[in-house]
Amino acid sequence: VCFDFAKDRYGICPMVQSQQKLDRALVRVQDLTPEKAEQQIWVRARIHTSRAKGKQCFLVLRHQQFTVQALLAVGERASKQMVKFAANLTKESIIDVEAVVKKVEQKIESCSQQDVELHVERIFVISQSEARLPLQLEDAVRPEGEGDEEGRATVNQDTRLDNRVIDLRTTTSQAIFRLQSGVCQLFRDTLINKGFVEIQTPKIISAASEGGANVFTVSYFKTSAYLAQSPQLYKQMCICADFDKVFCVGPVFRAEDSNTHRHLTEFVGLDIEMAFNYHYHEVIDSITDTMVQIFKGLRDRFQTEIQTVNKQYPSEPFKFLEPTLRLEYKEAVAMLKAAGVEMGDEEDLSTPNEKLLGRLVKEKYDTDFYVLDKYPLAVRPFYTMPDPNNPKYSNSYDMFMRGEEILSGAQRIHDAQLLTERAMHHSIDLEKIKAYIDSFRYGAPPHAGGGIGLERVTMLYLGLHNVRQTSMFPRDPKRLTP
Amino acid sequence: MPMYKVKPVSPADIKIDLPTCMYKLPNIHAQGMNCGEHALQNGEVDPALKALEERQDEVLRRLYELKATVDGLAKTVTTPDADLDASTLSRGPAESVFRATADLDSLLGKDLGALRDIVINANPAHPPLSLLVLHALLCQRYQVLSSVHVHSSVSAVPPPLLSCLGPRHIDSYARQRFQLGFTLIWKDVSKLQMKFNTQSMYPIEGEANVARFLFRLLSAEPQDPVLATQMDCWIDTAVFQLAEGGSKERAVTLRSLNSALGRSPWLLGQEFSLADIVCACCVLRAGQTTSAPANVQRWLQSCQNLGHFDCVYPLLQ
Repeated sequence: VCFDFAKDRYGICPMVQSQQKLDRALVRVQDLTPEKAEQQIWVRARIHTSRAKGKQCFLVLRHQQFTVQALLAVGERASKQMVKFAANLTKESIIDVEAVVKKVEQKIESCSQQDVELHVERIFVISQSEARLPLQLEDAVRPEGEGDEEGRATVNQDTRLDNRVIDLRTTTSQAIFRLQSGVCQLFRDTLINKGFVEIQTPKIISAASEGGANVFTVSYFKTSAYLAQSPQLYKQMCICADFDKVFCVGPVFRAEDSNTHRHLTEFVGLDIEMAFNYHYHEVIDSITDTMVQIFKGLRDRFQTEIQTVNKQYPSEPFKFLEPTLRLEYKEAVAMLKAAGVEMGDEEDLSTPNEKLLGRLVKEKYDTDFYVLDKYPLAVRPFYTMPDPNNPKYSNSYDMFMRGEEILSGAQRIHDAQLLTERAMHHSIDLEKIKAYIDSFRYGAPPHAGGGIGLERVTMLYLGLHNVRQTSMFPRDPKRLTP
Repeated sequence: MPMYKVKPVSPADIKIDLPTCMYKLPNIHAQGMNCGEHALQNGEVDPALKALEERQDEVLRRLYELKATVDGLAKTVTTPDADLDASTLSRGPAESVFRATADLDSLLGKDLGALRDIVINANPAHPPLSLLVLHALLCQRYQVLSSVHVHSSVSAVPPPLLSCLGPRHIDSYARQRFQLGFTLIWKDVSKLQMKFNTQSMYPIEGEANVARFLFRLLSAEPQDPVLATQMDCWIDTAVFQLAEGGSKERAVTLRSLNSALGRSPWLLGQEFSLADIVCACCVLRAGQTTSAPANVQRWLQSCQNLGHFDCVYPLLQ
């Protein structure tokens, strides 16, 4: 064994226990561009792949959505032992690398940083990963079709969800959740600019708000309580308390035993409630404008993320109109009938009919987002305000993205007497909602609102097909961990 | 002489218990069989085959009839009928463009309870001025719900384009009260496009063609074929020479406009028509109207006086 002249330039660092403050700037992989050519810099990243070829070792270093190629060759600065050390490092280990940034002649197609590569001077391990990974990241990012064609593996959803911490490291997951964070931020910013106030509502409540069936029960000292199915009651109480325009972002719990691509038992609800002057369309305009601002913000500021997701899950870009297209329920029924569907005028839309309607609207107006106004009264909850001119219809509306429903809203009944009548008509136990009805007895403004699910909106905007892809740690009837 | 006889080993009429658990096949040796096979063996034709042959003959016959009709039509088109003298065609009473009523149901299809919405996708770089004029005329005739949208393929649109259809109707929240919808979408399209009934109609492309469609909603085509042809001719001239042509073509067109307008107040004679709308819009869009020939300028002034062109002037820079 010959003398290792490079032994000070590589190795496994002792566990970082904050032993020292190093005055060292770490450059992010994202910032490795031709402008930094010939500079000697430090980078902290994960080992995405490492491959030895004779006297050279090729590494791909990854940080979040970005990857860069690094090269370590036996020579003046690196010994054989150093190169062997680098080649044997396990994938996913976190390393600190000191390297010189070099411009490359030919673009490196397989990395996100295509115009540069790193020539490694020093390499140290900060946190080592176990050799056997429960799933390979390259498999997790591979598009479905490609896997089948070339006989290479893709990772199925359950494996991903069981090892979520690793699955979330993929470039696609990073992009999805960064975009989701953008949705939340745009929602807040747009509403705050419109003069809305953010409120927090309780999630442990005494009575089921939407209907008794789909609610989780928790033991509450000597009695039991429920987990809130929606912030509906409290939003309305805030309006009666003169807050005028409110919104809240928080968890929503639905004990629905539905194992579909778009249902979760716990999801994040973005809810809006607003008092209006004379017509509930003032509220529809406000909500649709908020959605349009979200779509515009995503289109203009998150193109990198959208392209990253499209690499693994190709889809059509999301299209919309400003101002938002608004059709009436009767028009939708006429359009469906013209397309050959048989349905009654006051029948609710089934999921396949909603999808077909979405396609018809897309064909004519070229938009993936629209509002359907004036639903029949019979298919809406008891607190929906009936239409003033036709008792069979109501002042309620649904909004659709890519043919799937994302928001259900209405003008709420703000008169205690009418509310009581409608509740009795729906055979609801008045004792259970006494506090709710009471809040309208002391002067209540006319108001309307609606709520969207963060995960569903993100899924539909990106054209994905399962809501679990847009929920970090999803909850459904069959999954409680991680 | 009797032959050697063998006593039968088993009697001829043994009763055999056929198993009932298996399925039965018809006896192929039975007497009086009437299955098709037998008939075929006799040289008769299977009725199903016969029906197919008859259908084929019928189709061929219809095909020949169609061919004969098309040949006949081709002859009438390619060889001018020497007996037909265009100058003796009686010019029907010159109908005022906007007096004839048009039945929306017959033109657009039966009202199924949905708002009959005409959707026009236009590029904000080339606003369709003649369609805006036609929109103003439609609003006088029918109750029209007009809306303007910006498609996500376009990032921003100058404010005059957003208000080009006029102020929002007070009743616009009640879509059912309107006879017709006019939805203008500013979109990144290479050619102007109109969609109406996506189930039964192909989209119409090009400003001139959409203008012809919208004009039919206002009045019927001129009965006189000469007038109708002249109208189409002027519209095509406007689109190909004025709008898309070079400066030479424009100059030539302006001169022919000038001479036509020297003979009558409007392009087709005494009445204002679609030809005037499309040509005037193309002239206005080409610009430099102050240097246009005298008759053209007078004619443009007359158009403006009618009031239908008010929506166009704010969009000209």
